[in-house]
This record gives sequence, structure tokens and C-alpha cells, in this order.
Amino acid sequence: MTDLQVGHTQPEIEVEGLRKTFGRREVLRGVSFALERGGFLAVFGPNGAGKTTMLRVLATLLTPGSGSVRVAGHDVREDPMPVRRAVGLISHGPLLYPDLTAYENLRFYADMYGVEDREARIDELLDRLELSHRRYDVVRAFSRGMRQRLAIARAVLHRPRVLLLDEPHEGLDPRAVDILDGLLAEIRADHTFVMVTHHIGKGLELASRVMIVDAGRVVYEHAAGVDAEAFGAVYREHVQEGSAL
Amino acid sequence: MSATVQFAAIVRKDLIRELRTREVLVSVFLFVMLSLVVFHYAFASEESDLTFFTGGMLWVTFLFGALLGLNRSFAQEKDEGCLDGLLLCPVDRVTIFLAKTAANLVLLLAIQVVAVPVFTLFFVERSYVGDLPLLVLVVLLADLGICALGTLLATISMNSRARDLLLPVLFLPLIVPVLIAATSATTAVFAGDTGLGELAGRLVFLAAFDAVFLVAAYGTYDFAIGE
Amino acid sequence: MEASQVGLERAAPGAAGWRRLIGAPALFAYAGAALVAGLLLAFWYAPVDASSMGFSQKIFYYHAPIAETALVAFGVAFVAGILYLRSGDLRYDRLGMVAVRLGLLFSLLVMGTGMIWGKAAWGAWWAWEPRLTTFLIACLLYAGYFVLRSMVDEESRRASYAAVLAIVAFIDVPITFFATRFLPEGLHPVVIRAGGSGMEGSMLLSFLVSMLGMTLLLVAMIRLEYAAELLKDEIDDLKTTLWEVGQ
Repeated sequence: MTDLQVGHTQPEIEVEGLRKTFGRREVLRGVSFALERGGFLAVFGPNGAGKTTMLRVLATLLTPGSGSVRVAGHDVREDPMPVRRAVGLISHGPLLYPDLTAYENLRFYADMYGVEDREARIDELLDRLELSHRRYDVVRAFSRGMRQRLAIARAVLHRPRVLLLDEPHEGLDPRAVDILDGLLAEIRADHTFVMVTHHIGKGLELASRVMIVDAGRVVYEHAAGVDAEAFGAVYREHVQEGSAL
Repeated sequence: MSATVQFAAIVRKDLIRELRTREVLVSVFLFVMLSLVVFHYAFASEESDLTFFTGGMLWVTFLFGALLGLNRSFAQEKDEGCLDGLLLCPVDRVTIFLAKTAANLVLLLAIQVVAVPVFTLFFVERSYVGDLPLLVLVVLLADLGICALGTLLATISMNSRARDLLLPVLFLPLIVPVLIAATSATTAVFAGDTGLGELAGRLVFLAAFDAVFLVAAYGTYDFAIGE
Repeated sequence: MEASQVGLERAAPGAAGWRRLIGAPALFAYAGAALVAGLLLAFWYAPVDASSMGFSQKIFYYHAPIAETALVAFGVAFVAGILYLRSGDLRYDRLGMVAVRLGLLFSLLVMGTGMIWGKAAWGAWWAWEPRLTTFLIACLLYAGYFVLRSMVDEESRRASYAAVLAIVAFIDVPITFFATRFLPEGLHPVVIRAGGSGMEGSMLLSFLVSMLGMTLLLVAMIRLEYAAELLKDEIDDLKTTLWEVGQ
């Protein structure tokens, strides 16, 4: 499907009845939601609720067990290639090759995604993420914060329309947090985001919609607008006893 | 973003990584050298004319060396979580397969380029320089089969428990045809009875094996690597 | 996944008559009949082999059908593997596993009967000749199939990998057989030559009857074991449901 008219109302992400089972364990039990283009969805929920699994399905790393999932106008099961081109993922692991330099890592991904202005784009990102001075250093020698920064560069290298973030602020030093937030603010318009996070403050600050997932189901989904304290109450109300935030 | 560019990117990435760490190259090479020494002592006796065993010794060594190398190269990918990064890319899974097979092939050949002359020095009496092109052809065709099948199986075993044990258990029975053909062809070259007809038969067989398994891998690799 | 779908019915009142004709119990009966008939034919009807092997040749009436049946079992696993990869239906995985298990069993029998025949005909328990060798490798290969299954925890992944292996293995077995013929010609008498079976009429009949019996036996065993696997799955599902309800 292509963008035929300006102002078309096709949601950027459409999930309907998503179920996913691993062996005999049902991790996602019928998740449904939609996110319009330019939206920012913050996803909260206890550990093991299935948030990461959901993100991986959106990224095409996992196939849906049943249900339909459409991202950027394409079905993730029938048509995963265009989805991959349109999506960038920042996840727990940096997805970087430790024995390659920062430059070599980015060059690899640029080639894989077919980024046309490869050299310029790499320069631009290394600069933006304050890693230019480490361009030819092997990633194994990077600190955790630097690795995360490079991972961000990797994720946005191919200018994806949709960004999927799995607890991106985890383990970042304050400088890196600022850089990430700055970057997100910069590309906020016209990009669509799904962010899994435990940071109520950050999540609410950035989000246009908020969702709580518990035990594989969506238990709350609403436009953002409450403050952190009120949301804390909402969370406790919807999540079962004994689940930690 | 053509498949060729992606293919080259993956091969380049794997080779750079290997050249920088030399993890696989050095250990497998040492293993190969040590095997030759072990063979000498294992078969040492009064009448130590091992000419008719030469093909066998060489290929047993390369098979086990390849197993070690394959295990290692996939372990790296998996342990560092990089596999996800690769799977996120809009790349055909078959391109990944071909690229990894090619990279493994290059590494195997790099080891063989040194190992075969050393082996010749230790065990082969006849000068087979005239038949060298034939030997090269045998080695290339056998290597292709080993790497294609090995890459497919290593992809499966990398996602399983006890992957170091699983790969040989699956790989060795399947590679027996290659072992048979390559061994007899190599011995023929080393011993000097290169009846062209017979040798040609072995070569055709190896080529056919390679073709069949490349097609099989093409059809099944999506399932071996994805979820 | 009703038990009735796989033909494992007791003779319940009202059970469709024709279904009972092809249910597992019936198949076992047919197989038994054919095998007994084959036995009788082999020992009393077919003549003693004129060649040096004499009476011991009669083991051939079991050895070859068992071999053929083993290959059929592996073929079933091959097809089941392809069907699983295309559909993701775990029942094909169960079918494939059952087929491989039976194929493995029959392969062991091939080697067993082959060794007995070898001892009787050539005086040696073992010879590295094409057929025995190929079945030995097949045994090792398909034993590896079960090792693979035991090393993958997640169910659909296990099924995918097992399917890939079943496909690759089945392609490899004939190739291995051809490869072993590169080696010096063995002592194994080739039964089916190009252009005729090389057996006279009465021998052929006994052979074919045994072949039929063995194949029916395989089909019956597959049906039975497949149904058992599906029942196991149902039980597991029930257990899981009960556990969840109790939470």
C-alpha cells in the first residue's frame, strides 16, 4: 500500500487479536490496538507481561501466532521486507559486532539497508551522537553508554518511519540520556514510536498514547494526559497484585 | 540494496571479524597440524607406507577442523545477540545463507592452502604438480559441500542446547558421501593412479551433491534461521 | 483433534462401518494375515534358492521388505516435514516423529536380518558393503534426529528443525547409497536388476506378499502411534488448562 493521498487515515500500526505462544506458554493473548502516524505510544507493565514479545513481533523478529499485525501499511507475516525497511529497533542488546569498529558496524548496516548517502549519513550520526572521535575504535572497547549511543545510530541509520524502543533509557549515563531525548525530540514529528519503559516520568512526557500490558493482555489504553501521580494510581488499579513496576 | 551488496556486506563483515580476532583461523589451523602429527604416530609401524591412506587422513582432518570452525563462528553471532540485528535487516534469508557459506568457504580454503603442502611434505612421496589442478578442483567441490551443509546445520544447532555436540552428530552422517568421493579422488592424485574416467566420476558426484544440497538449503533455510 | 479423526475407534455402536475397515485394529489384522501368508509361501511354496546360499536365502523375504518399509517410513517423515514447514500444524510434526521412530526401528531390523544373512551366506557377521553401510548411516542419522529434538526446548522451533533434518536426511540416504558404490563392489547380491526382478514366479509372489504385509504393518503402526501422540498432546493441553484454572 502506498501513501495515496495527503491526510489518509490509515493507522501506522494496526494490531488485531495478536496471540503468540511459545511451546505451551501463551505469552500474548489477544492484543489489539492502533497507532496513527506521528503517534507515540508508551507501554508499561510488569516484567514478563509480554511487552518485549509484542515489540519483537512488530519488528518482524517473531511471527504472530494468530491475529493480524500491520506496520507502515504492510502485514508483518505476508510482507515483512517493507516492514523491516520502515522499522528501527532499539532493544536490550546493542546489536553491534564487538570486534568491528564503530564505522564498520554502521557501514555494514548501511549496506544491508541500502542507505544511499552512506558515508554522509554515518558521519552525520557519529557526530550527532558524539562518537566521531571513536570512529575507528573497536566496539569491544566502548563503555556501556557509548554502545547504547552507537546502537541508537544503528537504529536510525536507515531513516525508519517507525521506531521501536525497548527500555532505551536503561543503563544510560545522564549525557547519553540527554542525547537520546534530544534525538527523539528532533525526529518526533512525522515518526511513529512505540516505547516500552518502566520510567513513568519519561514515558508520560513523550507519549501521545499510553498502554498497560499485563499477562499478555492490554488492560488499559488511552490518550496520554494524566500526570505521573495519577497514572501511578491507574497502574495499581489495573495491574494484578504482586506484579512489580 | 541489492542482494549482491548485502551478500558482500555479510561476507566482508565475517572476514574482517575473523581477521581481527583470528579466533577460528589460528585454532583450527593448529588443530589440523596437530592431527597430522597424531596420524603419524597412530599409524606408525614397520611398513609405514601410508600412501593409500593419504586421502582419508586429509579429509578426516579437514572435516573435524571444519566442525570446530563452524561451531565457533556461529557461536559468536548468537552469543553477542547480533543475530537479531541481522534478521531485522530487509535481507533475504537465503542471501544470509549464501554469504555465510561463502565466508566459511574462504576461511576453510585459507587453512587448506597451508595445510595441504605441509601434508604433502609429511606423507606424500610422489610429486603431483602435474595433477595439481585436479586436486584443487576436488578440494573446491568437497569444500563447497562441507560448507553448505555445515552452515545449514550450524544454523540449526546454534539455537539448541549443547550445540558443540549436536553439530557433529548431525553433520557427520550427512557428509559421508562427500567423504567417500573426496577421499578416493584425493588418494588417486597422491598415489598417482589418476585414471581420468574414475576421477571424473568422483568430481561429477561432488558437484551433484553440492547442487542438491544448495537447493535443499535454499528451500529450508528460512525455517532454520527464523522464528 | 478428536480420537475419531485418526481412526482409533473402539467398535462403538453406530461407528461408521467403513471406518472400521481401515482403522488401526483392522490394519493390524490385514498385516498379520499378509505376513503369515508370506511366511507360509516363503517356506513352503517358494523353491530353495539354487545359488550357494541355499536355505538361508529365505531370510531375504523379510530382509528386503523391512528395508523397503524403513525407506517408506523415512519418506513419510520427509513429506510430513515439508507439510509442517508449509502449514505450521504441529500434527505433521507428530507424524514425522512417529515415522522416523518406526523407520529407525525397521532400520535396526534390516541390519539385524542383514547380519544374520551375511553370517549364513558368507560366514562373516559384517561387511562394509553398500546396503548395510547405508542403513548403518541412516540409523546414526535418524538417531541424531532424536538428539536434535531433545536439545531444543521450544516446541515450534523443535518441529521446524526436525522437519528440516528429516528433509535433508531423506535426500542424503540415496546419495549415500550411490557413494558407497564407488567403493569396491561388495558381496551383496543385487536383487532387482534393470529389466526384471531376476526371480522366478513363485519366489516373486512370496516376496510381494511379504512386502505388502510389511508395508501394511508399517501403516498400522504409524496410525496407532500417531493417534497415541495426539492423545498425549490432548492430555497435556488439559493439564495446562486445569493448572491455569486453578491459579
